[in-house]
Amino acid sequence: MAGPLSKYAFINAKLRGRISKILPEETFAQLSKAPSLDAALALLRDTAYSGLEGIYATTGDLKLAELELLKLEIGLYIEIGQHLHKNTQPILHALLTRFEIDNLKNAIRVYFDRRVRGRSVEASVHYILHETIIHSIPMDVVVNANGFDEIDGVCQHTPYAEIIRKYSHVVESEGSLFRLEVALDHYYYETLLGSIEHLSVRDKRIAQRLIGTEIDLQNISWIMRLKRYYDLPLETVLTTLIPGGYSLRRLQVEDLYRARNMTSVLQDFVKEQYPGLSTLLGTPTADSAARLRVLQQILEEIKRQEVQHILSGYPFTVGIILAYFFLKGDEMARVRTLLNAKHYGLTPELTGGAR
Amino acid sequence: MMFTTQMTQLFAVVLAGDKDRVTEALLREGVMQFIHTSEHTTTQSPNLNALEPRISKGEIADLRKRVEGFLHTIGIVPSTLEETDLSQRKAVDLKKEGQLLDTIEGERGSIRERQRILQQEILRMEDIQRQVNLYGIGLYNVNLSNRNSILSIQTGKLQAGLAEQLTAELKGLPALNIDLGLDGDESHHLVITMKRDRDKISRILDGLRWSQVEVTPEMLSMKKDLFGELATKIEGLSDEQKKLQKQVDGLVEQEADHLQELWTDLRLEELCQSIQDHFQSSSHTIIFAGWLPAEKKAPLQKAIAEASENRCYLEWAEAGSEDMIGSEIPVRLRNPKALAPFQMLVSNFGIPKYGTIDPTPFVMPLYLAMFGLMFADVGQGLVLAILGALGVKALKGRSGKEGMLQLAWLIIWCGGSSMVFGALFGAYFGYSLFKPLWFDFHGIVAGHSAADAAINNVYDILLITIYFGIAVISLGLIFNWVNLARMKQWLTLVFDKGGLLGGWMYAGGIYTATFMVTHGYKEFPAGNILFMLLGLPALLLLLKEPLHLWRQADDGGEKENIAMLCMNILMEWIVELLEIFSGYLSNTLSFMRVAGLGIAHVCLMISFATLAGMTDSLVMKGVILILGNMLVIGLEGLSAGIQALRLNYYEFFTKFFHGTGRLYTPIALNSKLQS
Repeated sequence: MAGPLSKYAFINAKLRGRISKILPEETFAQLSKAPSLDAALALLRDTAYSGLEGIYATTGDLKLAELELLKLEIGLYIEIGQHLHKNTQPILHALLTRFEIDNLKNAIRVYFDRRVRGRSVEASVHYILHETIIHSIPMDVVVNANGFDEIDGVCQHTPYAEIIRKYSHVVESEGSLFRLEVALDHYYYETLLGSIEHLSVRDKRIAQRLIGTEIDLQNISWIMRLKRYYDLPLETVLTTLIPGGYSLRRLQVEDLYRARNMTSVLQDFVKEQYPGLSTLLGTPTADSAARLRVLQQILEEIKRQEVQHILSGYPFTVGIILAYFFLKGDEMARVRTLLNAKHYGLTPELTGGAR
Repeated sequence: MMFTTQMTQLFAVVLAGDKDRVTEALLREGVMQFIHTSEHTTTQSPNLNALEPRISKGEIADLRKRVEGFLHTIGIVPSTLEETDLSQRKAVDLKKEGQLLDTIEGERGSIRERQRILQQEILRMEDIQRQVNLYGIGLYNVNLSNRNSILSIQTGKLQAGLAEQLTAELKGLPALNIDLGLDGDESHHLVITMKRDRDKISRILDGLRWSQVEVTPEMLSMKKDLFGELATKIEGLSDEQKKLQKQVDGLVEQEADHLQELWTDLRLEELCQSIQDHFQSSSHTIIFAGWLPAEKKAPLQKAIAEASENRCYLEWAEAGSEDMIGSEIPVRLRNPKALAPFQMLVSNFGIPKYGTIDPTPFVMPLYLAMFGLMFADVGQGLVLAILGALGVKALKGRSGKEGMLQLAWLIIWCGGSSMVFGALFGAYFGYSLFKPLWFDFHGIVAGHSAADAAINNVYDILLITIYFGIAVISLGLIFNWVNLARMKQWLTLVFDKGGLLGGWMYAGGIYTATFMVTHGYKEFPAGNILFMLLGLPALLLLLKEPLHLWRQADDGGEKENIAMLCMNILMEWIVELLEIFSGYLSNTLSFMRVAGLGIAHVCLMISFATLAGMTDSLVMKGVILILGNMLVIGLEGLSAGIQALRLNYYEFFTKFFHGTGRLYTPIALNSKLQS
């Protein structure tokens, strides 16, 4: 059986080298202050994102540049996967599932908007990824489908067919994709948690902590949104939430959903688990949308702290792989947000460094 | 060069009317690091106010950044200014220039929008193309569309006059309308659309009185290849797209000269305002103060006098004098350009305190000697030097890559050092091609050195590095004494670990160790000599704490219990002695790593040579030797570089470096842009 050193020494060195190349805060500050989208893209010229400028210059379409960013991210996972030990390959496979599920969700949304809601889909139909991520799914057929039967048919050889079959009637009766999307997300996290089962005790503990934290954050984010936009009974909310969280307990979920002032409940949770961040919750905010933004930032900060915890610990674990993907994903998300902010003419004060 | 540059402080008063000319003179000279006179109580006066800028600095910076943004898109990165720019400086009409930028921005935005719409059209065509690719439908089987295809293919006719309307109405939908020719006053068409748009297409075709017909083979022969048709259409749209892209580039390019001039004027305005930010004004006069190198005093004096037509009052104060304003003196390191990579190494550790020794000129030979001893090979050194030269070529003139450029220069220096030491030890890509100029390092490690040579075993090599270490540490101690004497810290000079007593004990330790070695490790020096060398300075060190406490008591410090005091003094003394003995011993032995890495380097090369000798194939031999050399250059080169840096930082600098200085950063035409 391979020891942690032989499993992770190479990838640890490689990823730490790559982590050092992640765009510094200074670049984000410059991007945030760039006077236009063209100027912002020019600032990315000497970085890993240099290709985005060319795409925008030749098409004038930022969404195509974003699609390229997504391809870059997927490519990164596939490339790193080639250097991983066979024991850690299933995690990478599970992580890639997220991209495939998100792409499938987007395609189904296009279908749903066109067929069920009768909306024009010209603005969204061209930004679906047609390349194979894990399974070969003809996205053309999904977006052009006449009914869920067709979608189910083309997904037959994938694990998503069963989920689509199970929830298609609910979607049609409720007129909303919510439950189908939640089921797909549940599948993703089940796969991810399943992929760490056969890891060593130390690896498993680290992976559970990071994945569990992500699940906690996803659940908190859903609770906030469900409370704000839907009026669902607590039991329904509880079935929506993803099992396998790290620190968020059922009692806290109930408190959070029932609370009139979610901030104070969340404050208790943050105080208990991440004492250093509770001061952020005290930031006075003007309206509920701003409060939501602050909460979102805190959740992101929590994940960043978990990643820093991994990076400063024992180096030869699966943590370095997960930490790298988080940091890279965070970097890409910030680039995406800032480019959109420039496109829509948002001021630097509103975007900050997109953090 | 040995010490940080001597600085002088200027306090100046000029007439308010001469303010702009004096500002330009200060910028042209570019030697003043200004200080805010208002922050120092001695110069505060209720009649003095900060100068109100004519134009907001923020507005200027915003406009400058906008201009930079445009210039960046056409690959122009403005960074520094020339003196001629200052003489050709023009006032900037912010409103007018802002409008110009708005116009360019607006035009660019509208072209981008046209590009986006065109791109949507291309994407629609690509949607169809993808389907055609998947299901291979050509015009011969238009009526046999694959049931899996999402395309809807129809052939039909309509009145010739309505053909253009058909094209117009299909615009905005993923559709390919192929004109198959006229038959009388009727136009035949092949229309390919997405099944998902069936309803919309039906409405359009019905509205144009379209009637479905079977296409005749004659018509089909005119347009045989649907895929080719699509490709042509996409190509046409892409060409249009390229034209639009050229228009965008052209928009900025045609204004490039003006934008560059504008950037220069804005940057000059920003710099002038940065200088004037430090001005204090009364109703008729302006005062300012700042630091400059003493050698620049005369030219600056002349420049201010000329700019103000001698209507100025200048007062000079030497650094450290009672007349100077404030207490912080900026530090300027002045070394020849060739030493820039080594100055970078020093600055990375810290900025020396004003008036102390700048170790840069000493770091150069020490670093290179250490590197050369660890990585001695003419061939590999040459490779390093070539790599460094390529790096310099690639990085020269690139803004923001100054650090990398200096690193490339450092690699060239290291390569040179390797070549020199390689020649001394007779190493050429791991082989002894020529007779060594000093001793046969390779032969010693391999065990076949000449027995009569002065240096003929590994212990001799280790000894060389220990002597080298003693020399480096001693130099560090001397520097420390010089620094402490210049700072008049007499007590520290005598009693510090790196002071005279520490040095005395170090020298004693070296003598004692040498005596023991030369006497077969069986004898110590005579008792009285040993006492003089180690005992006496150790006893004198006992005075350090009482003297320190006595000075504290003089300054009104608290008095402690006498028993506790004695205990503390004794403990401090013991700890200090332990630190001195263990510290100096480990510092000196630390230099054995130089020999260790040198030996490892030779061992690796011997291993690769042995491996190459095990094969008869010349190609394999070559591959093994090339790969071996590449590995050694990569790993050993890096390792030697890091170890040499570590020895400089921790065994040399820590002996004397007082790194609390603040770097001298005058406002000049080449000042770095602040983000």
